[in-house]
Amino acid sequence: MAAATQAPPVAPADPGVAPGRGATARTLKAFKATPVTYAVLLIVSAVFFVPLILMVSIALSSDQTSAQNAFTVIPTEFGWSNFSTVFTATGLPVGRFVLNSVIIATLSAVGQVLSSSLVGYAFARLRAPGKNVMFVVVLATMMIPAQITMIPQFLLFKELGWVNTYLPLIVPSFFSNAFNVFLVRQFVSRIPSEMDEAAQVDGLGYFGIYRRIVLPMMWPILTAIAIFTLTHAWGDFMGPLIYLNSEEMMPLALGLQYMTSTSNAMQLPPWNLVMVGSIMLTLPMIVVYYLGQKYLYEMNVSVGSAGVK
Amino acid sequence: MATDLGAVLGAARAQGPRRARGRRADRLPRPKLSRRGRTEARFFWLFVSPWLVGFLGFLLGPMIASVYISLTEWDSFTPPVFVGLDNYVQALTGDPVFWQALWNTFYYAAISVPLGLAVGLWLANLLNKRVRGRKFFRTMIYLPTLVPLVATAMVFKMVLAPSGPLNDLLGLVGVEGPNWLLDPLWVKPALIVLSAWGAGSATVLLLSAMNGIPREFYEAAEIDGAGPFRQFWSITFPQITPIIFFNLIMGLIGAFQIFSQVYILTQGGPDNASMMVVPLLFDQAFGFYHFGYASAVAWLLFVVIIGFTALAFRTSRRWVFYETEVR
Repeated sequence: MAAATQAPPVAPADPGVAPGRGATARTLKAFKATPVTYAVLLIVSAVFFVPLILMVSIALSSDQTSAQNAFTVIPTEFGWSNFSTVFTATGLPVGRFVLNSVIIATLSAVGQVLSSSLVGYAFARLRAPGKNVMFVVVLATMMIPAQITMIPQFLLFKELGWVNTYLPLIVPSFFSNAFNVFLVRQFVSRIPSEMDEAAQVDGLGYFGIYRRIVLPMMWPILTAIAIFTLTHAWGDFMGPLIYLNSEEMMPLALGLQYMTSTSNAMQLPPWNLVMVGSIMLTLPMIVVYYLGQKYLYEMNVSVGSAGVK
Repeated sequence: MATDLGAVLGAARAQGPRRARGRRADRLPRPKLSRRGRTEARFFWLFVSPWLVGFLGFLLGPMIASVYISLTEWDSFTPPVFVGLDNYVQALTGDPVFWQALWNTFYYAAISVPLGLAVGLWLANLLNKRVRGRKFFRTMIYLPTLVPLVATAMVFKMVLAPSGPLNDLLGLVGVEGPNWLLDPLWVKPALIVLSAWGAGSATVLLLSAMNGIPREFYEAAEIDGAGPFRQFWSITFPQITPIIFFNLIMGLIGAFQIFSQVYILTQGGPDNASMMVVPLLFDQAFGFYHFGYASAVAWLLFVVIIGFTALAFRTSRRWVFYETEVR
């Protein structure tokens, strides 16, 4: 049975059909959809959709509606101009927020892809004394919760003068992470090694084999890793909260929270603009997910071959 | 972090026999590596050096430092003062907020995780039927999981407002909804409602697991006269217990580390009614610069997480069914 990660696998088209072709195919009792099934699914879908549509509705409402907190779930106003005023009206560098998010997310993804492909390749293909012990250590490190290392890491980065720069959020990515190493190793282990052996006979060194033979075949799993790192870094809140304190450096996720907290008790946060920001935070994730769906499936297969059931 | 443990579960299982085999094979050529072998080993260490450096610099080093810091009183401006186990004693006996945060976190995890699984299971079972427009329903249920947590928190501030959509919905069935985020009694349920919105990820995983169950089982059951309910409990459920178990472990670990929602929506209030362990740790470390105390709290949280994970594993032998074990 295929494995489980956050990546949703693609479901086969038609479950519940008894074997048999054409006219002999019939639906088993357990799979019959009754009107109640449809009613429940419709209601649940609608309920799940409410927060999303509310987000859009608030984003499109006027400043006046926003100030009175008089929002409706179904949009009644269509102030598309909010999508441009958000960059100027809040007094915060919202454009900069977006740019910071893009920089942090992209460089984190680049770092993870580069480093975990190297390390994962080594664990899959190269032989060395002590390798198995090392791999167990890699797996064991996944169990350590981030809160344990958070404080010493902060003190270390503070010592290095990295506070209020992108560095604490990006640099660790260039040293790979255990889960990504594990993914690459599983993926490369499934690629037949005849090609590297042939290349070795032809005199290609280990780095050449990695660079010219294995790396070009790794891109499905590397794409999956890039997507995961991208979405994680894009939505990360705690990291920027710890390390960044000037508006100019904040990514959108932190900037949004900043937008709601800077307004004093006398005035409400500009909820319509906050929701425009929330949409700007959400949309790229939906697009990335949509484009990368099949690579995320690849990742499932990779983990599955490790025996996660 | 959330994904990580599940992979380890499987990997550790897969690693066991392979390691044993590897050890036996290694033993023969081990005494002396050939020149080629030495080059290969050198390249191995070169290639894994990014991980190794990261491991020493960002994980092992900080972990050791964290143990030491937790035994000191330190604000990072003046030199640390060694105080032994005082911080741990303080958390466990002298700080009522720590116990409250632990209790709140436990309350949140104990309800949100099973609830998320139950909703996921229920929806997956519905979607597993031959429904027209399954793809549409699946998308609608999965979409919320793509919304970043910060955006989710922002919109739930509105959903949970006294005259927000949730209370409107409750009004339809004649219930007067509470002031979710400002009522000490309802603030934790409010956070649980927020977590339930993400039930789509469990749904999709469970659905794909259900798709892998052989049809023959259901055919046989139907011939034997088992009803849909019986079929669910005797076929579907046992077959997907590994995925349920996986989601349980991941969910528990994630729930114990809840932070952003609390920080954005309630700041632990009202009256610490929604104070959780990680927000408490964060406040202590980065608000009050009590790095020693915060490190001790981090280790206590680690112990709690490991404890519950171990407990889940212990019970798993009784209810999680692995087909390969039968073969």
